[in-house]
Amino acid sequence: MSGELLNKITLSIVEGRPDEAVDLTRQALADGLEPLTIIDEGLTAGMNIVGDKFQTGEYYLPHLIIAASGMQQAMELLEPELKARQQAAESAGVVVIGSVAGDIHEIGKSLVGTMMSASGFQVYDLGVDVSTEAFVAKVKETGADILGLSALLTTTMTVQRQVVRELEEAGIRDQVKVMIGGAPISQEWAETIAADGYAEDAVGAVELAKQMVA
Amino acid sequence: MTQIRINDVAYGGVQYARISPDQCQKIHNASLEILARTGARLYDQEAIDLLKKAGASVSEGNRVRIPAGLVEKAFSTVPKRVTLYDQNGEAAMFLEEGRCYYGTGSDCLHIVDHRTGERRDPVLQDVVEGMRVCDALQNIDFVMSMFLPTDVHEMVSDRYQMEAMLHNTTKPIVYVTNEFSGCVDAVEMAEVVAGGAEELKLRPFAACYINVTTGLQHNEEALQKLLFLAEKGLPALYIPVSIAGISGPITPAGSVALVNAGVLVGLVLSQLKREGAPFITSAMSGGSLDMKTMVSPYSEPDQRGVPHALAHHYNLPMFGLGGCSDSKLVDQQAAAEAALTMMAETLGGANLIHDLGYLESGLCGSLAQLVTCNEIAGWIEYNLAPVDVTDEALALDLIDREGPDGQFLDSDHTMTNFRKRWYPEVFDRGNYDQWQAEGGLSLGERAAARVEKILAEHQPQPLPEDVAKKIKAIVERAEKSFK
Ligand code: B12
Repeated sequence: MSGELLNKITLSIVEGRPDEAVDLTRQALADGLEPLTIIDEGLTAGMNIVGDKFQTGEYYLPHLIIAASGMQQAMELLEPELKARQQAAESAGVVVIGSVAGDIHEIGKSLVGTMMSASGFQVYDLGVDVSTEAFVAKVKETGADILGLSALLTTTMTVQRQVVRELEEAGIRDQVKVMIGGAPISQEWAETIAADGYAEDAVGAVELAKQMVA
Repeated sequence: MTQIRINDVAYGGVQYARISPDQCQKIHNASLEILARTGARLYDQEAIDLLKKAGASVSEGNRVRIPAGLVEKAFSTVPKRVTLYDQNGEAAMFLEEGRCYYGTGSDCLHIVDHRTGERRDPVLQDVVEGMRVCDALQNIDFVMSMFLPTDVHEMVSDRYQMEAMLHNTTKPIVYVTNEFSGCVDAVEMAEVVAGGAEELKLRPFAACYINVTTGLQHNEEALQKLLFLAEKGLPALYIPVSIAGISGPITPAGSVALVNAGVLVGLVLSQLKREGAPFITSAMSGGSLDMKTMVSPYSEPDQRGVPHALAHHYNLPMFGLGGCSDSKLVDQQAAAEAALTMMAETLGGANLIHDLGYLESGLCGSLAQLVTCNEIAGWIEYNLAPVDVTDEALALDLIDREGPDGQFLDSDHTMTNFRKRWYPEVFDRGNYDQWQAEGGLSLGERAAARVEKILAEHQPQPLPEDVAKKIKAIVERAEKSFK
């Protein structure tokens, strides 16, 4: 019986019906299912299928986003229940991300952020033209595992280096992994500025992030 | 240059209207509604103050709602045509209804080297060579820098690009600069070449390309450039980009309405700053994001032609985007996409069609691909040329004289007229044996050989020595300020 309900939850995520995912989650709680079971065997199972379908080209970006939104909304319902049981959903890690000072290119950075939250990371997106101090402050405040720096211009990629240096100055460089990306960025540049990694696109960014926190 | 007026007498055009005049009006109304109801965020105080003083309402410090009347007033003062000159002060491009000009793009992060086929980082010499090739190619009407040189200080790469453009071609320039200060320096360099600020204003040979964050977010740098150029009376291209499905609606109509609202913000501001300031609208309110690859493609068919129809509706000169490809190499896809986009942009009536020679969705450029685009431009020019149907062209007397069994090869009429037909330079029309005898080369290989030939033979007109010195001084001054 409960297996059928969990299957339905999985399906609501895979087929992109966030409202249904929320309703079914509520029903599952009412039926006495454990929140962690709902997450693992219902919601996350669905997200994994969506991820696979995206990889194989069957699904497009909007499928991914709507599935993530269903997951997120269902999680809002589950959080208080988890707290009450003194449990926590496994967060993949905390990420601070933004486009560096002087750069207003937003789209790639936001996609990376969205894909990371869809993969279970807790993401703080600081927006564009973010000052170096703001990055450092947010990393301190959140104790982030990963800092993502986006730069689409050759004139702003040097700011990535500045941020890495500021993290050193602030004495928190070894507490956070720095990953960089954007059109002019390469693995070579990541090595030059002593960042911890580079990814060419959002899918690569998620994989890299998972390796970084593993 | 392709003249798309098919018949000078009847004044009919081959232009295709992707949407009807009623639909244009509806999109225009939608843009007005967006400006009045939703409003735009402006990140420059002078711009906000100008609009406020003119009657716009400002909330949240920088959210500006613009009443329709302000837009209508701007339309009554903005020039409906702009003439761009060459660097010798000769009129070169009439940006007006029915005239389409072709040019390169700017700032590619990579180059496919025509000598080796290798994809590598560009250097300043690539910009120099690019401009020399442009100078020689007959159908390239204006230039943009093509490549982003990696062997100069990144903050002043735009000054080096401008210097290279001024040195290696006399054709009109569309320049892109990193920051506001780069724009001021580019104008100063252009003024040196023109012989003064007044001279440049009278005979402008350079226009500034200005990107804006989105239709409803106008960054400080863009607004500063716009107002500075309006004040100077110099032409500006105002180009907000909302990527459909991401920062704007995915539907072409909604996407264009939103971006167009942004263009109208620029139009109003330019006219508030200085009535009659030359303003070139954007017909590249382009693309969506490819939802599979997450790349923003340059050669999409879906929306092309919609902003063009709107610019016609406004009777404003417009900046278009064609001759580009999403392919990684100089291959079949690159040729097909270049041809299709150039044809569509021309039929759409874009006055400045830029990005010829672009590959890899704006990240890479190729001189061989540029040569192919030059060939395509020639083909289009001849395909859309006015057709002469005078008696002389109909040649009825000749037909009758030759009779049913006649042949025309030795007639004077053939001799005087056959040269008017188009002949390709790199497209191959030989038979198999001829083609093989010439090396059995592909289009890409022939185009690369053409690039080499131009570089070996073509000498652009040099800048006078004193002018060159003054230009160099501006580059060096900028370089020092960033050290
Ligand atoms: C759209 C666009 C704009 C828009 C941005 C709109 C917005 N609100 O974001 C606008 C019009 C505002 C714009 C402005 C400018 N632009 Co622009 N722009 C582009 C364009 C066409 C596409 C960028 C894009 O959004 N792609 C789609 C996204 C999804 O891809 P992406 O950003 O690359 O992100 C992916 C990866 O890079 C990676 N990634 C991105 N960030 C991160 C971060 C991390 C941590 C990781 C791991 C991965 C990662 O994952 C993403 C998803 O897969 C590019 C050309 C191109 N093909 O890249 C030029 C381009 C980047 N722009 C360029 C230029 C020159 C400019 C301007 C300087 C022009 C001007 N003078 O007005 C201004 C700069 C303004 C500023 N100060 O920032 C040049 C850059 C040259 C250079 N100097 O380096 C380019 C290459 C175009 C060109 N050939 O001329 N631009």
